[in-house]
Amino acid sequence: MSKNTVFIARHEELPLKGDSTSLFLQIMVAIAVFLFAVTLSGVLSINSMLYNWNESILGSLTVQIMPSTNIDPDKALAETLEHQNKALELLKSLNYVEKAAPLTDKQLEKLIQPWLGDGIEIKDLPVPRIIDVKLKPHADVDFMDLAYSLSKATPMASVDNHKLWLNKLIQFADGIKILALSILALVIMITSGAIFYTTQTSLGLHRYTIEILHLMGAKDTYVAQQYAKRSAILAFQGGIIGLLLAVPTIFGIASLAQQIEGGIISEASLSSLDWLVIIGLPVFAGIIAMLTAYYTVKQTLQKMM
Amino acid sequence: MLGPVNNKSNAIIEMQNVGIRYGQGPEILSDIKLSLKKGSFHFLTGKSGAGKTSLLSMMYLAQKPSRGTVSVFGHNVNFANRDALAMLRRRIGVVFQDFRLIDHLSAFDNVALPLRVCGMDEREIRKRVMELLQWVELDRSIQATPATLSGGEKQRVAIARAVINRPDLLLADEPTGNVDNDIAPKLMKLFVELNRLGTTVVIATHSEKLISDFAYPRLHLQNRNLKIFAPNTPVNMGGFHV
Repeated sequence: MSKNTVFIARHEELPLKGDSTSLFLQIMVAIAVFLFAVTLSGVLSINSMLYNWNESILGSLTVQIMPSTNIDPDKALAETLEHQNKALELLKSLNYVEKAAPLTDKQLEKLIQPWLGDGIEIKDLPVPRIIDVKLKPHADVDFMDLAYSLSKATPMASVDNHKLWLNKLIQFADGIKILALSILALVIMITSGAIFYTTQTSLGLHRYTIEILHLMGAKDTYVAQQYAKRSAILAFQGGIIGLLLAVPTIFGIASLAQQIEGGIISEASLSSLDWLVIIGLPVFAGIIAMLTAYYTVKQTLQKMM
Repeated sequence: MLGPVNNKSNAIIEMQNVGIRYGQGPEILSDIKLSLKKGSFHFLTGKSGAGKTSLLSMMYLAQKPSRGTVSVFGHNVNFANRDALAMLRRRIGVVFQDFRLIDHLSAFDNVALPLRVCGMDEREIRKRVMELLQWVELDRSIQATPATLSGGEKQRVAIARAVINRPDLLLADEPTGNVDNDIAPKLMKLFVELNRLGTTVVIATHSEKLISDFAYPRLHLQNRNLKIFAPNTPVNMGGFHV
């Protein structure tokens, strides 16, 4: 039959694409994904920073040699260097030490330059000497034992395994991380709330059509699936927009952070896995929107009709 | 979950002491007792406001009774959950007095609706819908939306939608009220043919001509109650309770 070959375009029973809640949903999800991506990149950066700190700090320690109190500066220097050599000798004899090297005069001058300014002669100053010790990978170090051995070799030596200041930094970073994770949870809650609200509003707008669908034998699932599909698509589209805005922002923040002196923040970089998580956010938003819309419809229809 | 099935009865619809009221208002229908056998054909009559639409809406499961029990296809609707009611509705075709077509859908999509909610294959849907639209002489308007159709054309779309799924029960509220005189007998012929194939039919009408032309028993609503009259018996002859 020639009439049967006529192309018939199928229209959706529920015209959800054009309804007034669609744009609102897309904008909400775009904002949410933007905030989520930027905050998440912060959390992931802090994580990588903590990891880097742990890696570098756990693999090293510092031995400090207190300066001799001899009033003759030349003698004092000679005594201090002697103590340093004794400590160095001991350190090199330890099987878990990979490398132990005293900081040179130039390095020491650079370290105290912020306090005492340029043009200082380190040899003339009663400042502690420092030995930088690099440990072998996965070295099992008994710090109490090391401190005891060092004190026997020279009473002027003390060990600093950086744990004290590192712990404070870790606590601070952990605090920021908890704050950021709370923001992420809040963003998810607000987005779900917005989807709940838009879905309920849309159900009210399409009440007449839904009643007809029910009278034709449609189950709540039939309606819920249409809403779930629409919400997933809209949220994914909104998520892509949010992501496109977030990526340059993340790069912007990263480049600003790298300009800060100190090298601490520059260690905070995102791995390719981190990026994969961030790029996957629109899909995540789509799934959340789909589930929220589905259960909102099921719940609302029970009360509505 | 479906309600308990009453296998002993051959009734498609059974009502026991059914009353219906809206809010705190008085009962619109009281103590309705009714048993419609499989394959029966009845007219439903009564003055405007007598409760015909309320009675029909209980039959197509749009509302539950305020009291009493209603069983459809042997299932007590008081105990049926939402999904079970949906499954029962799939076996019922309804022609509404106000058509209840979906305005943004074409005639084709409106008629296809009951098949789509059942998840039928689109090729089969297309075949069935095209065939039926040709039969009701709407094959030239398949893409037309209800807003562009005349009252009679809308009614034919509504009828096509009600019968497309070959329902076990067909309920029609003034189905020939808006159609031209030449097509009304054709539509009635469709209902008669469906009835001959086993569909139970209830047609609410004010048309005495329709009632006299087709010799089927009449359910008459009067004083909130229901009486049955044999074919071609005037309502002032008394009738009897069902």
